[in-house]
Amino acid sequence: MGGVEVTKIVTSSDPRLLQVLRGVVRYRAQEAGFEESDAEGLAMAIDEAASNVIRHTYGNRHDARLALEIWTYPDRMEFVLEDSGRKVEPGEVQPRPLEDVRPGGLGTFFIKSFVDECSYEENFPAGNRLKLVKHFARKVSASDESPD
Amino acid sequence: MKVQIRKANDVTILDCSGDVDLYSSPHLRETLMKEMHAGSPAVLVNMTEVGYIDSSGIATLVEGLQLSRQTKTRFGLFGLKGNARSVLELARLHKVFAIFNDEPEALEKISSTEPFGGL
Repeated sequence: MGGVEVTKIVTSSDPRLLQVLRGVVRYRAQEAGFEESDAEGLAMAIDEAASNVIRHTYGNRHDARLALEIWTYPDRMEFVLEDSGRKVEPGEVQPRPLEDVRPGGLGTFFIKSFVDECSYEENFPAGNRLKLVKHFARKVSASDESPD
Repeated sequence: MKVQIRKANDVTILDCSGDVDLYSSPHLRETLMKEMHAGSPAVLVNMTEVGYIDSSGIATLVEGLQLSRQTKTRFGLFGLKGNARSVLELARLHKVFAIFNDEPEALEKISSTEPFGGL
């Protein structure tokens, strides 16, 4: 595959629809060439990001807007999650230390575990635009191998 | 997700099936808390039919573990596989919970399990 493909989903912030997002992400990731385990990890990363939006940005409102773009490039997939809620402040979303065993605080840890890059778009006019990037494993060619 | 409750001798077993996520974890939490307070000496969560669990589901299980300290209930999980097993391991919680391979092992060992896990 040499071109760029995009899938766009616009839904409400209803947690019942998280399984739909997971299903689409799994399908597109496997179709693009990711192993099942990576596709499952990506589905979880987007699920956790969307759950964070529903809980923290929208305060558990179920009727707000949630948009997901899935971009497939030759070397990577990008997942862009957009909301129109309150701004997430830099440093607000941090994983808790794993040794601090308590309910909650693992969503961000899982997001960062399953993607290579995670960033909020600066200067996004209203709401938040979170970009998650996962690169395909680079195939080793004969020219990559160092001579003995 | 569905949660069904049954008894095996003195042990309460919660049979969970489906995905445990932000939508469904409150139902698991409500059921778990109710059974913890019901006075059963041991509560097991059967994860055999759980295909997916997210951080809200894991938070519910950690909450159950914490409550088990207060109610002096032995608490364990069995039948973890796929995503459920891997995310618990990733979060290093597999050593905090009492985890058994299957129901026979869970029923055999839960009574001798050190209560309250590693919290």
